[in-house]
Amino acid sequence: MLKIAALSVAVSVVATLLAAAVAIPAALWIVHGRSAGRSVLLALFGAGLGLPPVAVGLAVAFMFWRSGPFGWIDLLYTPAAMAIAQTIIVVPLIGTLAVISLRTSDNTLPMQLAALNVPRRARFFLIAREVAPGFAAAILAGFGRAVAEVGAAQMTGGNIEGQTRVLTTATMLAVGKAEFGEAFSYVAVLLGIMAVAAGVALTLQRRWA
Amino acid sequence: MGVTAGGLVARRGRFVLDVPAFRADASGTAVLGPNGAGKTTLLYALQGLIGHDGSVAKPARSAAVFARPAVLRGSALWNVTTIVSAVLRVSLADAQMRARHALDDVGLAECSGADARSLSTGERQRLAIARALAVEPQAMFLDEPFANIDADARPQLRSLLRSYVERTRCDVVLVTASLADATALCASTVVLGQGRVVHEGSLAEIGTTRDLYLQALVAESRVTL
Repeated sequence: MLKIAALSVAVSVVATLLAAAVAIPAALWIVHGRSAGRSVLLALFGAGLGLPPVAVGLAVAFMFWRSGPFGWIDLLYTPAAMAIAQTIIVVPLIGTLAVISLRTSDNTLPMQLAALNVPRRARFFLIAREVAPGFAAAILAGFGRAVAEVGAAQMTGGNIEGQTRVLTTATMLAVGKAEFGEAFSYVAVLLGIMAVAAGVALTLQRRWA
Repeated sequence: MGVTAGGLVARRGRFVLDVPAFRADASGTAVLGPNGAGKTTLLYALQGLIGHDGSVAKPARSAAVFARPAVLRGSALWNVTTIVSAVLRVSLADAQMRARHALDDVGLAECSGADARSLSTGERQRLAIARALAVEPQAMFLDEPFANIDADARPQLRSLLRSYVERTRCDVVLVTASLADATALCASTVVLGQGRVVHEGSLAEIGTTRDLYLQALVAESRVTL
């Protein structure tokens, strides 16, 4: 159980961090950038919110199938493949929430700090401090979606015991075997993880409020 | 040293600001004109905050009060302290002392512990004036700095800015729609209309111009109840 829970958290944390590394710069570009294509990317994020995990899982699995375009990397049925699929699922959510948080904050702040001759480095830290709560909320929401999805984890991980079995796929298997007690214990641990994530989010928001 | 600009052309979308020559010093230049004339664009261009053609020179240390001041998360005191310590590179204790003094000057001493984001629009403007003065600028760019401040507090804030300017010989560029503000801080004026200079000269002589906007402005300032 511990190993399954630990793998669930590890895969989803990696996926969330990768997604944040892509989605947050993209959100900054959408809100503060000048070049063309920003509204197209925002629309893609919006459309991506409803992306079925099972479809993403199928696409990623297809890419990494032995005969697929990236088959030579030999990643299918590994935690890495699961993390890649979850990253794709989570990018639109983190991106959209980060855009919303940037749009609700005062976008003239960077200019106003520059107008007061605040040095560039201090400006960067002050602006980062302003946007941090919104970004943290976006990232934690992303983690929640990643850790809770089952379709992509099943497709790309294969639910191999001791290797790619995570809480959601273990629950599906337990239900399939009519081991309902086991299924409920997996779900309880999953809910516990979600509760911790929500607690972290709440604590951060309180501290920053 | 003064704020000077030559051949200044700035574009924002389809709007074009074209100011062949501009000059402001400690005697103050008021930028007047109707909405959409390019006053704020001129202020931004003079500070180098937006792209422009032509040359601009201003003292290295300048400060601005925006029409809608942005504030940082945290208390009013923290807002001013952080900016003072970053700009003047003084210790936090020193910055905090200067910040307290500045907040006291603008009448925000009682709100210094309050979250800056919870302040009213007028209080935010006071905060913006406090932080602008606290960084000891050699040039100030003011965009409607008193617009939302209580009428009974405006004279005090005008004289606060005026005494700073007299003491430090700080250059002043003031965008305003109020002749009372303009005359308190400025001796000369540049009047913009649709991105171009339609009048410039001494503030004292604007009563004699034929510009309709200026005539309305002067008439309004003469209102008696």
